Amino acid sequence: MSGKHGHKPFEGHMHDYMAHVKAVEEDLEYYRAKRFEPRIFYLLRRNVVTFYDLLKVRSTLKKTDHFFRIAKLQGKNIEARVRHLEEWLDEYVKGIALVSARTVEGMDMVTEDNRKERGDYDDFFKIKKKEHHGTLEERMVNLQQDLADYTELLEVFVQALLRRGWATREDLAQRWKQLHEERPWAGGVIVAKAWTDPEFKQALLATGREALREMGVHQGKVGKLVVVENTEHTHNVIVCTLCSCYPYDILGDTPWWYKHESYRTNIVKNPRACVKDMFQLELPSDKELRVWDSTSDVRYFVLPQRPAGTYGMSETELAKLVTVDSLIGAGYALDPSQLREREAAHVAAEIPRVRPD
Amino acid sequence: MSDGISKYKIGDAVMVASENPSGNPRTPRYIRGKRGVIGLVHGVLENIRDHRGIHKPLYTVRFELSELSSGHDTDTIWVDVHEEWLSSVRPDS
Repeated sequence: MSGKHGHKPFEGHMHDYMAHVKAVEEDLEYYRAKRFEPRIFYLLRRNVVTFYDLLKVRSTLKKTDHFFRIAKLQGKNIEARVRHLEEWLDEYVKGIALVSARTVEGMDMVTEDNRKERGDYDDFFKIKKKEHHGTLEERMVNLQQDLADYTELLEVFVQALLRRGWATREDLAQRWKQLHEERPWAGGVIVAKAWTDPEFKQALLATGREALREMGVHQGKVGKLVVVENTEHTHNVIVCTLCSCYPYDILGDTPWWYKHESYRTNIVKNPRACVKDMFQLELPSDKELRVWDSTSDVRYFVLPQRPAGTYGMSETELAKLVTVDSLIGAGYALDPSQLREREAAHVAAEIPRVRPD
Repeated sequence: MSDGISKYKIGDAVMVASENPSGNPRTPRYIRGKRGVIGLVHGVLENIRDHRGIHKPLYTVRFELSELSSGHDTDTIWVDVHEEWLSSVRPDS
């Protein structure tokens, strides 16, 4: 598994197309069944939008009025096609964020409503995710069709909100522009500072967000932040077994496997076997493994151990050693020789997208 | 140490209710009916984007893995739990 949706570092050149395609499939179904469709159900039940609004929009919408415009595929080789699918998925995810309760206040919806609606507490409400099969070519064709279908429903839904007067095109356009502005990923900077500044580290571990605020790191409003420290004796791993709580306002987009049911189930059932199978981490038997299960009001990330052989390195250099995985406990920070190997192989560091919230 | 809001303090032995229909639904099933120890005390957290109203005080409760499953016995699972799910137990009872 690799790529920006995987838990392996993003590679400058793709090697495993199937892994990329599977990551897109996973993420796409997650966003459809967990983030988008439950919202439609919620609003249908409350007459904010009706089936008939959607039907009317669908039959009268002109292509020139479309809100979402998907970039054309550039090139025909597999790599270009896979990247196109990834970019399309990203637009779909942004599109869902566009019609979040925060943007469209008339919806009067909080995250907890969405959790109820998607069956977090009652299997009866669960929306079944699609299963994918077939050759790489078949899967890519299917995925493209799914993306087209899902984007169309999103388009129709956005237009219905506009027609019903829940939002204005200008407001949505402005929000859409904002959603395409990215914030810098601060994971590496935070950790490097904690490694070199004991006072900051103490503040970070004791107060979480307060310490980041003083450091000038942007952060949203997704609950209290707790930072847990890896040491000689303790390795920490983060999970949200109920859904996918994650400090995304600071660490950016959640890796797809973090949201996957197998990780969320196995990490609390048999954590040692899980970190070995999924992340190839073999912890010494005398090291305590601590799993932190977030349930929304508190978000966690791991302060990884400073690697050996980094004495005297600057904060800027140290920040490059920090991977997303190491902040979840799914890996360690790189040591300088690993970083050199990656740079020599032109393996670009995986930097998650941090979206405005 | 008490914050005057939270009933339990770090180190208190607690038991999670098996069922609690009126309690916060975000209490994972695998810890229900299990014993743990208060690991962190968060107090009452406001989170208006997430849910309506105010929840009871929140704790992070430490569970030995051996209490929850058959895993490696030095490992621990730390789970956020609201106060209405918890009751006191004597540590060795």
